[in-house]
Amino acid sequence: MKHSRWLGVALIVALSIMLGPFLIIFFASFEPTSTLRFPPTGFTLFWFRKVLSMSMFQKSLVLSLRIALVASLLSLLLGIPVAYATSRYSFKGKRLIELIVTSPAIVPGMVAGLALLRFFVLMRVFSVETTLLIGHTAIVLPYAVRSVLSSLTNLPVSIEEAANSLGSHPVRTFFLIVLPNIKVGVISAFIMCFITSFNNVPISLFLSGPGVNTLPIVMMTYMEYYYNPSIAALSTLLIGLTLAIVLLAQKLLGVSKLV
Amino acid sequence: MSFLKLENLTVAYGKDAPVLKNLNLSVEKGEFVSLLGPSGCGKTTTLRTIAGFLKPLSGRVLIGGKDYTNVPTHKRNIGVVFQNYALFPHMSVFENVAFGLRMRKIPRQEIEKKVRRALEMVGLAGFEKRLPSELSGGQQQRVAIARAIVIEPDLLLMDEPLSNLDANLRMEMRSEIKQLQKNLGITTVYVTHDQSEAIALSDRVVVMNSGKIEQVATPQEIFSNPKTSFVASFIGFQVLAVGTVTSIEENFAEVLREGKIYRARITGRVQLQDKVILFARPRKMRLTRHETQNCFQVQLISVLYQGETSLLVFKLGERQFSVEQDSAVSLPVGSNVFVHVPPEDLLALKEE
Amino acid sequence: MPCLAFLIAFFMVPLFVTFFESVYQTGKGWVVYRYLDFFRQKLSRTVYVRSVLMSLSVTIVALLIGYPAAMAVISVRSDSLKSLLMTLLVFPIMTNPVARTFSWLAVLGREGLINNLLLSLRIIDSPVRLLYTRGAVFVGLLQLFLPLMVISLVSALENLPKDVPLAARSLGANSFKLFTKIYLPLTSEGIVTGSTLVFTGCITAYVTPAVLGGSRVLMLSTLLYQKASVTLDWTMATVIAVIMFLSTLAVNILSRAFSTLGVRK
Repeated sequence: MKHSRWLGVALIVALSIMLGPFLIIFFASFEPTSTLRFPPTGFTLFWFRKVLSMSMFQKSLVLSLRIALVASLLSLLLGIPVAYATSRYSFKGKRLIELIVTSPAIVPGMVAGLALLRFFVLMRVFSVETTLLIGHTAIVLPYAVRSVLSSLTNLPVSIEEAANSLGSHPVRTFFLIVLPNIKVGVISAFIMCFITSFNNVPISLFLSGPGVNTLPIVMMTYMEYYYNPSIAALSTLLIGLTLAIVLLAQKLLGVSKLV
Repeated sequence: MSFLKLENLTVAYGKDAPVLKNLNLSVEKGEFVSLLGPSGCGKTTTLRTIAGFLKPLSGRVLIGGKDYTNVPTHKRNIGVVFQNYALFPHMSVFENVAFGLRMRKIPRQEIEKKVRRALEMVGLAGFEKRLPSELSGGQQQRVAIARAIVIEPDLLLMDEPLSNLDANLRMEMRSEIKQLQKNLGITTVYVTHDQSEAIALSDRVVVMNSGKIEQVATPQEIFSNPKTSFVASFIGFQVLAVGTVTSIEENFAEVLREGKIYRARITGRVQLQDKVILFARPRKMRLTRHETQNCFQVQLISVLYQGETSLLVFKLGERQFSVEQDSAVSLPVGSNVFVHVPPEDLLALKEE
Repeated sequence: MPCLAFLIAFFMVPLFVTFFESVYQTGKGWVVYRYLDFFRQKLSRTVYVRSVLMSLSVTIVALLIGYPAAMAVISVRSDSLKSLLMTLLVFPIMTNPVARTFSWLAVLGREGLINNLLLSLRIIDSPVRLLYTRGAVFVGLLQLFLPLMVISLVSALENLPKDVPLAARSLGANSFKLFTKIYLPLTSEGIVTGSTLVFTGCITAYVTPAVLGGSRVLMLSTLLYQKASVTLDWTMATVIAVIMFLSTLAVNILSRAFSTLGVRK
């Protein structure tokens, strides 16, 4: 096919747009001078050390990790029953529930962040941090449900019936039989949730306050004032971490977990 | 006294029209009963209701005299074998079979003994550590059976367990299942759409159609004396012609068709002037060149060679039917002959 | 089970209530003029139009680059290469948007890649301002959402039975145009999905316009933030929020209508 050459070109263009900047920032993080430049003039690990030692980054990292962990666990806790009910039963209002559960994915993050801020924080219902947690949990829920649901639909109901017929109480069946077999869905759900929460900007943007800042937000404010390779170093670290997670997930689960 | 009793069961899925309407059935202890019928006739629905997977709209399910209608599945002492085996993919063969015993809190030593015995019974000794994914279809089904019988259930329920296996394996497993049931004496309800299977395995056969029971009888009875047109067709009888009853004498009737009188056997309730369908089996018809009593004039349309025998397809009026003959007899296509059916082999059943 | 489903509702309810609360605060019924104000004010109007146009252009370019790229991915024979490519495509989506956008600073900055390149090639004398321009935001958004487009298209293309193009070929469809007559309609659903994702993503993106556009190139989301946090103009902020939400909703509904139309044909 003559076309294949052009197709290949398009692919390369696409990949370089998507991945090129990563490589550039990688190199730029070694730049010795205080400016962000490419190609770098030298090599130093100074910025990496600096970034890792700055308390503001450390604190926000801890917060981001904590929020991501709790939000993921919460959303799984809430989402697994919903996914189970959706896949095994049909009941009145099922469509509505499905709609509600997927709605956070449709609503623009900014809008949700603003709304949450106004409603909870300004009305003094919850603290900033709690609202942040609520927001993150809500945002990642749809992903959790979707992932678990797809694992569930691949598990035939007859297996549960078999367990029940052998004397296992339905709740026991759920823990003994269903859960072990949807491990894949649950794990990929957790990873999706964790990453989505960790990277989230819109919600965290509005729901920040003194002492309550997630890592992405801190990075952004830092960027406004300091234009040096420390952010580059941090970015490189984050990108590297993401790459590691993606590769790990692939080894464990296989590629088609997003699709 | 019947061990399993279904009283006036009406069962529906969700808000749809009921699949079973006022179904009644009695099964004796230790009996092997088959529910036979085409897809959608309600046999699986009946089985699932007995198991407790479905709750009836009205009626009762009695096991051993006790009303189990509202008892949840896990409290019934039943063993179920599914069409797709339904083995627990994350457990070994041993753990699969031991599951029911675990639920009944049987001590570990005993579980080990029982599981080993059960696996021996199905011919899978030594397979304890394997995973279901490592087993063939036939082996998986055996594990499923072992898992169901090891708990010594009151009832054994099997939902088309052999449908997913290839023909040879099916035959093999058929006799194994029969032997097993005889040895253990567990009351068994077996669902199938394969009439040869039902006839080979059962003490009694329940033929179902559209949610109703057409006939309940021993295999021999069903085979020789089907009571309705549906059962006759399902069991292998062919429709020959239609006629009207002119006289009845004990088990026989005289049927008028196109000016000729045919003598046929009746198995159901038939009255004078009833429209009846005349049935016969392919093997029980004889070809003659001269017309005698109980003969139909037919034309040969095609011949299907089957090896030792051949299937000759004849045309009678607007209908076609087949006669099985020794292949040695050859007849040119298109020839007009007579087919003779002795009165005992010609069945007259009411039209439905 | 149902009680746990209700717990979910507990979380969704605040979401919904927040919406309606914030909207009613603006007063849909009696304060509708605020919406008209939005469009009457030159600043907000330009911002809105700019956001829409930008998102549209990013979507189109993403489609133009993404479609052949997706086709290239599909036509790869070796499975391991294919999964490698898929990983490379999925991976950018998972990275932190701040890190991603920041990388562009290294490319477009005063001493970034492009400037240094142009300087060394003597094309320009002094560094060109590339940041805080519409182009910067454009490229940033493109980088952000191109993977989404490609992935949607890849899955749409994968669902195409392999024999159909061969059949078309055998019937004499040699021309490139006829190729697009087969591929386009059959993948239209994927195209619509991908475009919707990209378009709504661009309209609601914050990080990229904020970092690469700053206050010189205001987009809808940055305007929203500005109004809410900087100038504390709540009413305006909520209006913007609702407009953003309705716009994305409209796009989603439109796209669903489009895809069912395509199916009927």
